[in-house]
Amino acid sequence: MSLGGTVFLVDDDPGVLRALTRLLRASGREVRAFASQREFLGQHDPAAPGCLVLDVAMPERNGLDFQRDLATSGDERAVVFITGQGDVSTGVRAMKAGAVDFLTKPFNDGQLLAAVQAAIDRDALMRRTRAERGEVERKLAMLTLRERQVLEHVIAGQLNKHIAADLGTVEKTIKVHRGRIMQKMGAASLVELIRMADLAGVRPAPSPSPGP
Amino acid sequence: MSQGTRTSMPAGTGGVLPDGAPLITRALAGVPRSTWRQALVVALAYYLGAKLGFAFTFQPHPISTLWLPNSLLMAALLLVPERSWWVLLAAALPAHLAAELQSGVPLAMVLGWFASNSSEALIGALCIRRFCSAPLRFDSFRDVGAFLLLGALFAPLVSSFLDAGLVKAIGWGEGDYWQLVWLRVLSNVLAALIVVPFVVTWAADGFAALRGATLRRSAEAAALVLCLLGVGVATFDQPQAASSAIPALLYAPLPLLLWGAVRFGPRGTSTAILVLVLLAIWGATHGEGPFVTGSTEENARSVQFFLIAMSVPVLLLAAALEDRRKDVAAQRRAQLEAKEQRLQLTHLTRVALLGQLSGALAHELNQPLTAILSNAQAAQHFLAADRIDPDELREILGDIVAEDQRAGEVIRRLRAMFKKGETQFQLLDPNNAVREALALAHGDLVMRNIEVSTDFSPRLPDVTADRVQLQQVLLNLVVNAIEAMSDNPPDERTLTVTTRPLDSGGVEVSVADRGPSIPEERQRRLFEPFFTTKPQGLGLGLSISRSIVTAHGGRLWYSNNPYRGATFHVALPHQPGAPL
Repeated sequence: MSLGGTVFLVDDDPGVLRALTRLLRASGREVRAFASQREFLGQHDPAAPGCLVLDVAMPERNGLDFQRDLATSGDERAVVFITGQGDVSTGVRAMKAGAVDFLTKPFNDGQLLAAVQAAIDRDALMRRTRAERGEVERKLAMLTLRERQVLEHVIAGQLNKHIAADLGTVEKTIKVHRGRIMQKMGAASLVELIRMADLAGVRPAPSPSPGP
Repeated sequence: MSQGTRTSMPAGTGGVLPDGAPLITRALAGVPRSTWRQALVVALAYYLGAKLGFAFTFQPHPISTLWLPNSLLMAALLLVPERSWWVLLAAALPAHLAAELQSGVPLAMVLGWFASNSSEALIGALCIRRFCSAPLRFDSFRDVGAFLLLGALFAPLVSSFLDAGLVKAIGWGEGDYWQLVWLRVLSNVLAALIVVPFVVTWAADGFAALRGATLRRSAEAAALVLCLLGVGVATFDQPQAASSAIPALLYAPLPLLLWGAVRFGPRGTSTAILVLVLLAIWGATHGEGPFVTGSTEENARSVQFFLIAMSVPVLLLAAALEDRRKDVAAQRRAQLEAKEQRLQLTHLTRVALLGQLSGALAHELNQPLTAILSNAQAAQHFLAADRIDPDELREILGDIVAEDQRAGEVIRRLRAMFKKGETQFQLLDPNNAVREALALAHGDLVMRNIEVSTDFSPRLPDVTADRVQLQQVLLNLVVNAIEAMSDNPPDERTLTVTTRPLDSGGVEVSVADRGPSIPEERQRRLFEPFFTTKPQGLGLGLSISRSIVTAHGGRLWYSNNPYRGATFHVALPHQPGAPL
């Protein structure tokens, strides 16, 4: 029995590290255990799906700081924090920083396994989103400058004639652009186009000033 | 004659009673049994005292050379609560009647004397009670002074005016008024001096002291009594020619009285005085000793003067010595208390220190608990899935045992630190003490991301120290260092602990942090009690640490590091008292 996703486990306490590795393996998880953050960074493959189970109190650096650095470097992964001495403020900080869960030692297998499952799901979702965003960005790059302008107006919900007026051209030209955009982006409907643009962070064009 | 059971008199008799009988009945019913016993003893003593007094009476004067009953009564009153006084006075009356009427004294004189006798006892007891805050035990200079002035001088004087007046009015015996007053005062002063201290000191707790005495002390007391008897008989009870030949012989008893005062306190002194007085009076009334040169009256006066002059300073000396002994005892008690308080304060700071670490200690316990739980649950999963690998199971169980022992070790360390005990010096390895202190602080070090760098000298001599107190000092320094670095960036949080042998045979442990240096205005006050810069600090840590190290004959100081931070040094001699 093996479930999808690897659990990357980082805890400086060898006894705890061994026990948690065993527990996760016993419940069918693939586990990679690291005794320090440095060791983890040295061997970490960001491409491998799975979550990070991270001890908060570590001699090198606080787990929360480590997570933040990891996120800004682009190797973000869903994190379950574990701590030997959980106080509310640390828990709140961890959750705000996007942790899936914050477990205070000692915890039951059920708590850990549920948190790990949720984190792996979150990781898979994040990966899917990231892949999709990459795809959309690739497609967006294929648009011409003009098409990109038209797209920004389309997702702002403007009618073709307004777009034409705004861009100083005729409605018919806009229609042609629009057809190309839908084709290049592979969008079946306006709704899908808007979702894609949103995913890639394309900003809608500001509304035109009211005409005379 | 103890102070007796605390049985109160029946409370207010309520309404108006038709006659006195029920009142007396009720009053008598309220008298505790112990008071009846005391009354019986008083009656008997009074009777015997009176008989003895008649034996010491020189005709033609009706005044005895040594009249004991008044003083016996005064002593008895001093020993019981005031509400029982009337019972004792009432008990003395039949004894007085029995003794006096046997000697053929007219009834009016008998009753008159009872009035003057009991007035002396009452005046004396009342005055002493009013003046002395605690019950009179002849163990303080002030109390003995009060007794001498009020009980032994004032009371006999006042009652003697009454007595002599009654004698003259009734016309019993010869002599003029002032002569009678004078004779009676001397006699009763002497009686009060010998009887009241003797009875009071013995009745208070003398017999308990006697039972608790060691063999050596009993032997010394017996030797003193034998010497007193020997010297007393030799001085006072020899035919006149033999004793008056050497007048200086009168001083022979003095060293023995001093022996009593110095070695046996007020009780021994009063006993020695009593023995001497009885021997002297007996000799004088039997025409022996140095006091039989003049008329009977002159002889009586001489012997009384001599004995009074001898007794008063010795009684005062015994009390002064007792005062001094109590001072010394109080001083020793205060020293013991101070020591006990220091120990308590040391313990208190230790507990406060552990309280500061409580979060970290929870962390230290939660680690092994987590390992145990997860190992056990992993085994459960294996069993549930029917994938039982005996090797794996053996490893799991081995880990559980090890982790449990680790948790036990945390608790053992904590218990040792929480324990409140006497200082126990033992030979120990300083490196080990540092390791234990670091183990206690481990959770805090990890939680605050502090890196520990240790440099332990492998050739460190053992030192004699109290293990717990030494660890307290080291833990205190470590915790201070951790706190000093709490605002540092993560890679600037290194704690360095170094041990090194000293040339003197001792060791030095230094704890260096990389926090801010100690500003000059704080340096001076660093080791002062209650000086703290922390919002939750007691301000006792360093002050207690220094007192612990000093008690070990060592030194605790600090130096600012050249780059940043401070280093605290503990130098301990090989053993307390050895040079550093």
